[in-house]
Amino acid sequence: MSWFIVGCCLVLAGWALVLALRNTSVTFNQLIGAGVIEVALIAQMIVAGVSLGGGHELGDPVTFWGYLITALVMMPVAAVVAFAERSRWSSVVLAVAAAVLIVMQIRVNQVWMMS
Amino acid sequence: MDDVVTAPEDVEDTRRPAYGAGRVLIFVYGIFALAATARATVQLIRDSSEAMFAYSLSALSAVVYVLATVALAHNGRRMRRVGWITVSFELVGVLTVGTLSVLHPEYFPRDTVWSNFGQGYGYVPLVLPILGLFWMWRSSPARIAAG
Repeated sequence: MSWFIVGCCLVLAGWALVLALRNTSVTFNQLIGAGVIEVALIAQMIVAGVSLGGGHELGDPVTFWGYLITALVMMPVAAVVAFAERSRWSSVVLAVAAAVLIVMQIRVNQVWMMS
Repeated sequence: MDDVVTAPEDVEDTRRPAYGAGRVLIFVYGIFALAATARATVQLIRDSSEAMFAYSLSALSAVVYVLATVALAHNGRRMRRVGWITVSFELVGVLTVGTLSVLHPEYFPRDTVWSNFGQGYGYVPLVLPILGLFWMWRSSPARIAAG
């Protein structure tokens, strides 16, 4: 699940960077991509919740859920900026958001392995 | 109905917009506001008794990041004043805590956002207030209007 999200974020970040270099703002198709990532993040929470119910022990549950919950905010805020800022800089914001999500997913994985 | 003002169509405003690149800065500030708040919350929930000083600092920096984000995004007259104060406070904070944590690590048994000049966050906490101050200077309405 996590690697699927990282993959999507990499694609979206690359796509946004290309648009930023071409001096273009975020397109609607990219927002659909952001929506896919958002759904995947929610699915990840459900999967994590189920496997915790199934007996997976977490060393640090507060940090784990802290990351998952904060991650949900990134794409919606980037989308708001995409509507407010119709210049290349909204593409930069989307790329930053996707990059931060990648870092957060790596941390989520680390915390998941610690038990 | 004489006082209806319409924009003359042949006039073009070549002055640069108030935002643009600044929105990226505001977004990164927002991320730090969120990260610092989440971190302080986690630390205070999980082990508040361990290092009260470091954790209070985390909470304080979280509040300052939130204030700075709101001030930069709002960009109003009074909010810009808040922006100058909070962004300067961050620069002083990261320099002070950074220096202290290198010279006297025993004061900081647990890391804060500002420990070792923000090393845990890729030194972004050190760079951010400098960019923030530059942006506050550059986005000054007086400068843009004159420009």
